[in-house]
Amino acid sequence: MQGGYEDLIIVGINQVGFKGRRSKEMDNQVQSRGQKELQEQVINAHLCVGCGACAYLCPYQVIYKDQTIVLHDCDLAEGRCYAFCPRTSTDYDAIRKALFDEEDLTLELGPIKGFYIVRAAGEVNRANAQHGGTVSALMALALEEGLIDAAIVAEGEDNFLHHGIAVTEPIDIKKRGKSKFIVSPTVAEFNKIAAGDAKKIGVVATPCQAQAFAKMRMKPIAGKESHIDKLQLVIGLFCGWALSWRKFTDLLRRSTSLESITGMDKPPGTQTVEIFTTNGTIILPVDDINTCIREACHYCIDSTAEFSDISVGSARLPESWEETKTWNQVIVRSERGQTLLELARSKNVLEFRDVPEGNFDELKKAAVEKKKGAIERLREKSGQPNDLIYLDENDPVIKKIMG
Amino acid sequence: MSKLIDENEGAQYLYMGNEAIARGALEAGISLASGYPGTPSSEIIENLAKVAGERNLYVEWSTNEKVAMEVAAAASFAQLRSLCVMKQNGVNVASDFLLHLAGSGTRGGMVLVTCDDPGALSSVNEGESRHFFRMVEVPLLEPGDFQEAKDMTKWAFELSEELRSLVAVRSVTRMSHASGNVKIGKLPSTDKQAEFRYSGFILDPMEGIVGSAPVAFRHAEQQEKIKKVREIFEDCPFNTYEGPEKPDLLVITSSACTLYSREAINLLGLQDRVGLLKIGTTWPLPPRLLTKYLSLTDRILIVEEVLPFLEDNVKIIAAEQAKAIGVKTFYGKNNGTIPTAGEMNPDHVVAAFCKILNIEYVTMSSEYEQRAQLLGFTLVPNREQTFCPGCPHRASFWSIHNALQLDNRKGFVCGDIGCYTMAMLPTGFSTLKTVHSMGSGTGIASGFGKLGPFGMDQPVLSVCGDSTFYHAAMPALVNAVHHKSNIIMIVLDNSGTAMTGFQPHPGLAVSAMGDEVPAIDVAKICEAVGARVEVRDPFNLKETPDTLLELMEDQEGAKVLILRQKCALSPERKAKKYFEMQVDEERCIGEECGCNRLCTRILRCPGLFWDKEKKTARIDEVLCAGCGVCSYICPEEAIIRKEVA
Amino acid sequence: MGNTALPKDPYSIIITGVGGQGNVMASRVLANMLVRRGYQITIGETFGASQRGGSVMSHIRISQNATWSPQIPKGKADVVVTLEPIEAIRVLMTYGNPDVQVLTNTRPIYPVGVISGELAYPSIEEIQESVKDLSAHAWFVDATEEAIKMGNPILGNIIMIGAVAGIGALPVDRADFEEVIKENLPAGTLEVNLQAFDVGVAKVTA
Ligand SMILES: Cc1cc2nc3c(=O)[nH]c(=O)nc-3n(C[C@H](O)[C@H](O)[C@H](O)COP(=O)(O)OP(=O)(O)OC[C@H]3O[C@@H](n4cnc5c(N)ncnc54)[C@H](O)[C@@H]3O)c2cc1C
Ligand code: SF4
Ligand code: SF4
Ligand code: SF4
Repeated sequence: MQGGYEDLIIVGINQVGFKGRRSKEMDNQVQSRGQKELQEQVINAHLCVGCGACAYLCPYQVIYKDQTIVLHDCDLAEGRCYAFCPRTSTDYDAIRKALFDEEDLTLELGPIKGFYIVRAAGEVNRANAQHGGTVSALMALALEEGLIDAAIVAEGEDNFLHHGIAVTEPIDIKKRGKSKFIVSPTVAEFNKIAAGDAKKIGVVATPCQAQAFAKMRMKPIAGKESHIDKLQLVIGLFCGWALSWRKFTDLLRRSTSLESITGMDKPPGTQTVEIFTTNGTIILPVDDINTCIREACHYCIDSTAEFSDISVGSARLPESWEETKTWNQVIVRSERGQTLLELARSKNVLEFRDVPEGNFDELKKAAVEKKKGAIERLREKSGQPNDLIYLDENDPVIKKIMG
Repeated sequence: MSKLIDENEGAQYLYMGNEAIARGALEAGISLASGYPGTPSSEIIENLAKVAGERNLYVEWSTNEKVAMEVAAAASFAQLRSLCVMKQNGVNVASDFLLHLAGSGTRGGMVLVTCDDPGALSSVNEGESRHFFRMVEVPLLEPGDFQEAKDMTKWAFELSEELRSLVAVRSVTRMSHASGNVKIGKLPSTDKQAEFRYSGFILDPMEGIVGSAPVAFRHAEQQEKIKKVREIFEDCPFNTYEGPEKPDLLVITSSACTLYSREAINLLGLQDRVGLLKIGTTWPLPPRLLTKYLSLTDRILIVEEVLPFLEDNVKIIAAEQAKAIGVKTFYGKNNGTIPTAGEMNPDHVVAAFCKILNIEYVTMSSEYEQRAQLLGFTLVPNREQTFCPGCPHRASFWSIHNALQLDNRKGFVCGDIGCYTMAMLPTGFSTLKTVHSMGSGTGIASGFGKLGPFGMDQPVLSVCGDSTFYHAAMPALVNAVHHKSNIIMIVLDNSGTAMTGFQPHPGLAVSAMGDEVPAIDVAKICEAVGARVEVRDPFNLKETPDTLLELMEDQEGAKVLILRQKCALSPERKAKKYFEMQVDEERCIGEECGCNRLCTRILRCPGLFWDKEKKTARIDEVLCAGCGVCSYICPEEAIIRKEVA
Repeated sequence: MGNTALPKDPYSIIITGVGGQGNVMASRVLANMLVRRGYQITIGETFGASQRGGSVMSHIRISQNATWSPQIPKGKADVVVTLEPIEAIRVLMTYGNPDVQVLTNTRPIYPVGVISGELAYPSIEEIQESVKDLSAHAWFVDATEEAIKMGNPILGNIIMIGAVAGIGALPVDRADFEEVIKENLPAGTLEVNLQAFDVGVAKVTA
């Protein structure tokens, strides 16, 4: 590990996160970057991913039913909401270089220290998991070993809604396995609890949420660090998209009652989505689901949570989906992630198996596909080939993808 | 003893215009007075209610203006004298009955006093009631000062009995809410006997049946009454002329504009050039009197407020008499000499004189004016209207606003008339999106709620006050429930007709005269109508928005949310604060990212202010009403509330 | 008939302040004192919706024998009494003239725009400068502070009436005040009102 995150502050303050398109216009005039701009550039522009980075920092932004709501206007010229939001103009290359070992950086998948196929050891530890239970197992281990003293995971509510919840007991992690395909505003929960007693916090984050945490780690507003130093571990989830609650529940209500749903999954390589209910599995065509995808997800270039310590997704194996789905693919990105994974290996918390030939390339290919699609749609949205709205067209990753 | 019932005939008192009107009614010996509160009319009924015992009166605040007029008519039918009072738009509400009452005629003297509000100083309209009286054909009087307000009201009853017709007296804000010396007259005895007679010949005005049919007969009878009153008006002492025999300009005016015109003549020293014909009998105008004064000169200026009512009627006479009086040049609202909107004042009349007579007049030396304007514009902050400190509406609209934002489907609120109309402004977080007449918020909402099939999926809310609920919102709610219109009606129940000064209404167990009466419960009515009903305390900033959010998800027809909390100006709340408030200056983060002055910038209760030097919010102990609301919204828990024992 | 000749006929006074300060009561008391002296009075009041935090203004016209307009013509105020300092300048913008006499309570009541930070409220020194600049005589009285000392901030209006009587701009005295209070207010309140009146007199005569 490169020392603590504290060391990065020096590089981080103010500029690093905010190069890019908008800063060029700002050369001559001071442009404010507060709630008003957040609302114009992100929320009203349908770029908001509902991560919650802007929420509960102040009384103005809150999350309600997977939507980021601005309750009242704030007229500050500079605010944490704008600074932390992963969809305001951001120089992600600078953040990447500041937070990770430069030699680990790849254009397609972000920083990589290692790539593994693993799962939680013991079937009972996978019983309540989405796939191999790796995320839950690693998070529980971090708590047990005192690497963190609180973990934020996603908690289901009635009506298919979710919120972030901070837990301190390993058993409470395992109870909250399974993927929630409607946004769970994890960063908002971090904002809520970070001011409290917890000293070392770990989070399970989707890629956009991991981006928000990365921006927060850059401490863009001096004196307003929002306790980000308490963030000690980010376990990222691979992510293709998340769904809009209102659209998706309207769709589900047509085939089943919301109360009967126990989970869902999208088997890779198929054109279907499985909805698990108390009365069996319902198969929906992916085209139906596509109409429910949050618009903001279409503009996301990250499929593997590149800004986390360790990222976890479903595995691709030659075996049947029934078997495959009990395994995870894992990318270790930081020293901290590496340490945790090695600890899991030595404590037999995880089972490892060989990575099949070609797996890594496939993952890369899928990652590039997502990036390409997002860049295309951002260009379409802005109407300019070089205007990627929140992304910097000079970012080497973007340059490479744009050709 | 109240000076209103002073027996000392000939004594002089300072009476407010509304008190003068009330005194006039007392001198006329009324037995019954009814009305519906509305600025600037409310003090008339209030004052009469106070002396009801001593003067053997029955006084009530009726459910609405139409009912008020019906109640007053009953007394007239039973041969008592009765007074009915309302503000200008109240006449619109009462107008259907007004038409029929004009047709049926009256028995005991009956007078309708309407207090118009030119300039809409406390209205959401600049309504003109005078046209109604021409439309339904009843005589209309307008007092030109405070003494007249009393004398004319008394005379109106006599006139009413002479004609067996309703007589209208129209006041305006600057008459009703102004005060002046009034010499009082005699108070009659108070023992009156009521009897409704109906056994005589069916068409007999005093002993037959009372109704506007047979129409041909009754309408013809009405025409006769108008003819007769025109004659009476020819010699009426309330029509006066002051000025030279051959003026350069004749001013024809009425009501408060008389005082403005006289002031303007005085200011410009035009006593020898301008004649002032002050009309007290505005409709029907006496043609001979008008012809006489129109003959004095060729230039006529008509000074009046709101619509060119007097002007139109004078012109009709001038046209009819053109041969005798010659061609006149008219100045007034129609040719733009007098402003067509807003209230009048002496300066407008001065400006009109200067224009017509081509004279120069400096109201203020330009050097002084420049200095004053400069200081004013640089130093004096505007005073925007705001809910009072501790007002429940501020809390209600805070929750309504937040719930609508959270729901995030572009929901909106339809409103009507009351203090809560101010929710159009930042003081109510700009929550109201339609504002019309009493109760119409709910009627409009009922319509919006049926636009789903046309793709409208915005939640629809309405608000009305508790008094408004009984006045005109009940039929709208019935409509919404019956037609399964998917709306939420919010009743802002602050236990009184707050805006006009706490007059009781059917929801309270006390009458205008202070007697105990059965209170009619809003919640029970709504339930009986078939609406789902929830009751919350608006000072609970958690439950109220939560309830609203839940109601917005409920797609089953009309729902009612009653937000119940006493008005901050109510005697109970004024007597005792709920909390002693204080800001912990150490905790307050003020302008920083994380608060940015939520309490003073957004909630904007006048009980709090921002201390620029100390960079902290502070409680103004004189203004804070101790409701505690601000303490619940502070993100830093810096506003401390201590319960008052 | 009035027993003292007026400096002018009509003589015009404006009493202004903010809703809730007892403006209307102050103007009625003062006017009743003048009626006692045999003058013909007209008061015009602007309240109504402006009750709720807006400016409230009473125009008092004093005459030997005529009823004048309840609205004073532009530039024609003779005496201005303000229960809130900034209202003094607001009134003078429309009704002021170089001969006007002004009495100002120094306790600000911030407009909601100032509370919310959108508008600025000038310093009391700036206000005093300006009022002096726009008047022939100006008095500044910390009436609300004195009233708070007496236990009820609302008494600020009576202190200001005392001050008006104290400067001798009007033909009224303590006896008139006492009579009017006796006639119009509940019995128990006479003592404290007289006390407040005296504080006001003292403030401008000391
Ligand atoms: C919206 C979404 C889209 C995804 N898309 C893909 C994809 O396209 N390809 C792919 O390989 N994998 C995807 N995943 C990841 C995958 O579904 C599994 O989460 C991952 O394989 C880990 O499995 P596991 O058994 O280790 O997780 P578990 O042990 O079951 O633990 C999952 C953890 O994630 C937390 N969590 C669940 N939902 C959310 C959420 N919405 N936000 C934040 N935290 C959450 C839970 O609380 C729990 O702690 C997606 C996940 C989500 C939430
Ligand atoms: S993307 Fe996240 S930080 Fe940005 S506006 Fe949406 S919820 Fe807030
Ligand atoms: S407690 Fe707060 S909100 Fe209530 S009146 Fe006082 S300052 Fe205003
Ligand atoms: S809301 Fe609280 S922290 Fe914010 S300014 Fe007011 S008192 Fe201070």
